[in-house]
Amino acid sequence: MEQQFTFTGKQKTFFLGLMALGAICLALTYLGDTTPHHERFWTNFLHNSVFFTGISFIGLYWLAAHTIGYSGWHIGFKRVVEAMTLFLPIGLLLLLVMIVGLYGGFHHLYHWAADGITDPNSANYDKIIAGKSALLNKGTYTGVTVIVLLVWAAIAWMMRRHSLAEDKEGGLKRYKSMKLWAAVLLPVGAFSSAFCIWLWIMSIDSHWYSTMFAWYTSASWLVSAMCILTLIIIYLRSQGYMGHLNKHHLHDLGKYVFAFSIFWTYVWFSQFMLIWYANVGEETVYFNNRMKHFPVLFYGNIIINFLLPFFVLMRNTTKWKVGSLTFICIFVLFGHWLDFFQMIKPSIWAGLKHHAHEAGHHGAEISDFMMGFHFPGLLEVGTFLGFLGLFLYFVFAQMAKASLVPVNDPYLYESLHHHA
Amino acid sequence: MSKKVLYGLYNDEETLFSAITKAKQSGLDIMDVYTPFPVHGLDDVMELSESRLHIAGFVYGALGTLTALGVMTWVFTRDWPIIFGGKPYFSFPAFVPITFELTVLFAAVGMVLSFYIVCGLGPFAANNPVLDDRITDDKFCIAFDTTGMSQIDLEKYSSFFDNTGVAEVNTKII
Repeated sequence: MEQQFTFTGKQKTFFLGLMALGAICLALTYLGDTTPHHERFWTNFLHNSVFFTGISFIGLYWLAAHTIGYSGWHIGFKRVVEAMTLFLPIGLLLLLVMIVGLYGGFHHLYHWAADGITDPNSANYDKIIAGKSALLNKGTYTGVTVIVLLVWAAIAWMMRRHSLAEDKEGGLKRYKSMKLWAAVLLPVGAFSSAFCIWLWIMSIDSHWYSTMFAWYTSASWLVSAMCILTLIIIYLRSQGYMGHLNKHHLHDLGKYVFAFSIFWTYVWFSQFMLIWYANVGEETVYFNNRMKHFPVLFYGNIIINFLLPFFVLMRNTTKWKVGSLTFICIFVLFGHWLDFFQMIKPSIWAGLKHHAHEAGHHGAEISDFMMGFHFPGLLEVGTFLGFLGLFLYFVFAQMAKASLVPVNDPYLYESLHHHA
Repeated sequence: MSKKVLYGLYNDEETLFSAITKAKQSGLDIMDVYTPFPVHGLDDVMELSESRLHIAGFVYGALGTLTALGVMTWVFTRDWPIIFGGKPYFSFPAFVPITFELTVLFAAVGMVLSFYIVCGLGPFAANNPVLDDRITDDKFCIAFDTTGMSQIDLEKYSSFFDNTGVAEVNTKII
């Protein structure tokens, strides 16, 4: 039953090529940036770091939820999810770059980090942000990011360690230890991920907040993680691995993409409708900006992330046929990357516009259409591919370190006979 | 029209599966299979064509969507326009939750009713005999319709149950 995955030189070269492309794109973005503080570069960096770190975290959460829920069907491809969770330390490194930028003043993404913002005597004083300064400050940002990511990475490592030891030892001891760590992660991960989402993304709109935001963002992560997982499994099957999975595994993965696309739409709409209905200026400013100045992103988001998977994956056959599943997973993965794009970029653009306006004609000219802000340009797509290469490189390297089948898992037999 | 049904009871679904496969291989005409709970993969073994209930469900759901949107649009723009909270008469976001609810309601109720009618259950059914009460408890049943069958065929059907791990074979006129 043991199955050893080989990370071939060809795959390595391909992923390294993608990473090189990403690095070149990041460098070009930095050098060619016309924005005052390299906003295009920093938003791209933050966007992709958060996107892939989140996918890795959701992999861990998904694994924990299935472990706690006595799930058996996922055991056949559990090692792929485990490999995804081991990207978390890299996510920490990526976000450390953001933290260095925060202290060094290299980027001005977070308005709350500006000098004198909490000082009543300063010209920069902002009463609203001063009131939120207990959460929105450099120390909390750093502390939460580092501690939370270390905890997640540690739990991911513990789950992995027990899983690998189970291969050698057998028995139920390791299985029980994995359950314990899964039980620890579920509440800890749920609350801590909300803090991370608030600090990493929502605090870009320092004045604005939404109680639905953490739900909405983690739903976006979840769908992306399911798409990446499905695509990796389909790829592995095309390479002759994972022969023990049957069409019902793909069917259930398709159901995940389908169901959580609907869940994402549900939370997206819940956030939108509450704000639209109440019509409070402090809250509607977020959507007003997006609907007025970013209509392609705003409406495209719904089409690509709801209508497309909803109508295509509704039939059972499209959920287990490799062609339709691959097609939808690629589109929806890109769609959710676009969703994160429209969470970050419009806010930064509005800030730039505001500052240019305040500075009069002496400030930098901010046009009504900016490539890389209103729509992802080639540099953004290249950066995305670079980060994707980085993510896949680590996932594949981890997959190659152990058998693709957890041979002694008590639920393995159930997974081999899975019937949806 | 009463039917003469020959049926065998099995203790678990594993023996049931192999018995069905054997019956299919011998070219026997199975009237129906009854189980106390939904058994995964049974429709594949019985070579049943895919249910069309979900297509009906989609149609009912679409009907619910159209009904909700149509009625709300007509009421709030033509019949009795009222301004709520300064919103326009046609306020699509406000219509979405009710549209969603009616879509689910129409699809769910429509599918349940269709299912009952197709299966001959509920108050629409004139006659719905049960072969054996234990089928609803812990027994798995393969039934053959042997009405007006020749003696040779009857032999063939009865002897099928030998060596299939059957717990019990009965005949009943329903």
